Amino acid sequence: MFAALAAALVLLAMPAYADELHTVSLEMNDGKFVPARLEVPAGVKFKIVIRNVGKTAAEFESLPLRKEKVLAPGAESFVVVHPLRPGEYGFFDDFHQEAQGIVVAK
Amino acid sequence: MGQVLFVVWRESVEALLVIGILFTWIVGRPDSRRWLPYLWGGVGLGLAGAVALGMLILFAGEAMSESAQTLFQTVLMLLACALIVQMVVWMRRHGRTLKQEMHTALADEVGRSHGWGVLLLAAIAVAREGSETVVFLYGIGQHLVLFEFVLATVAGLALAGVTFVLLQLGGRYVSWRWFFRVTEILLLLLGAAMLMSAVDNLLSLDILPAIVDPLWDSSAFINDGTAMGGLVASFTGYRAYPALTSLLIYLAYWVLVLGLLRMPRATRTPVGA
Repeated sequence: MFAALAAALVLLAMPAYADELHTVSLEMNDGKFVPARLEVPAGVKFKIVIRNVGKTAAEFESLPLRKEKVLAPGAESFVVVHPLRPGEYGFFDDFHQEAQGIVVAK
Repeated sequence: MGQVLFVVWRESVEALLVIGILFTWIVGRPDSRRWLPYLWGGVGLGLAGAVALGMLILFAGEAMSESAQTLFQTVLMLLACALIVQMVVWMRRHGRTLKQEMHTALADEVGRSHGWGVLLLAAIAVAREGSETVVFLYGIGQHLVLFEFVLATVAGLALAGVTFVLLQLGGRYVSWRWFFRVTEILLLLLGAAMLMSAVDNLLSLDILPAIVDPLWDSSAFINDGTAMGGLVASFTGYRAYPALTSLLIYLAYWVLVLGLLRMPRATRTPVGA
């Protein structure tokens, strides 16, 4: 019951702020991030639009950003990240662990 | 992948322990031939029950939208964490007398000549471990590539078989006590890690407030933004940039767990109270 209610609230809240956010894009390509360094303003929410242009599935994972997103080949999705303090926050592709990237908040 | 392996390994050893106790007891009886089909029937039924639960969870999750899916997974992670704690506490209290308890139950069933009772006993034991495995795996492994997932599961089962044989050989290499002690600690750590992932989800869904975010930055020590650091995090719940809420919940978890484990058995009120 609580779960259903909370889910409904989340669904209602999502489109409300999805449009006006600072947005950066990221491409995942079979173990490569393009770009591997994303610059974002510190202290504000922002959105990363992620596209998997590779031939294999990819998972954008970042514990510092508290995000995990699986993308099938060709899929596009996004994550909305909470305001960050200035600093560097790592992310990686859990399906191709050699792929590392950072978000730099200034 | 390591987590999947560990969960399958530990849960299978526990299921094997129960089946092993039932098996040796039945085999020791003159009319064992009559009872063994019930035992294997029970094992099969328990496995089928666990698989059915797995399918149910999988399809329920797939039918949902993305944020509902995140929430569903979060709820299952919390359930898995509670199950882990309950299981460790239960094994602490019953582990030593498990064999005796099962023998008494078996003697009762055989005394009444109820083969179905033996079947049910085996089915419940296997279904219990099996459905725990299913819930744990959904909590940690749903993003794994299918091939890796199957590989880890099969390896975990094989490893469980080897461990079980070694433990049965009379503890020349490893002892049950040692096995349970070490895996208990690992399980509780895994429970903490699941709890932290669940809290992360609740924080990003704005269901929980972060209060202070982040509380500190220990990424220079272990950076959880890398694959290696992520591995440490997924086994312990470590965070390089923890929110105050996460820290408080993490501490509360360990206080609760240690409290439950220290509570002596004698002071427990009888079942039903």
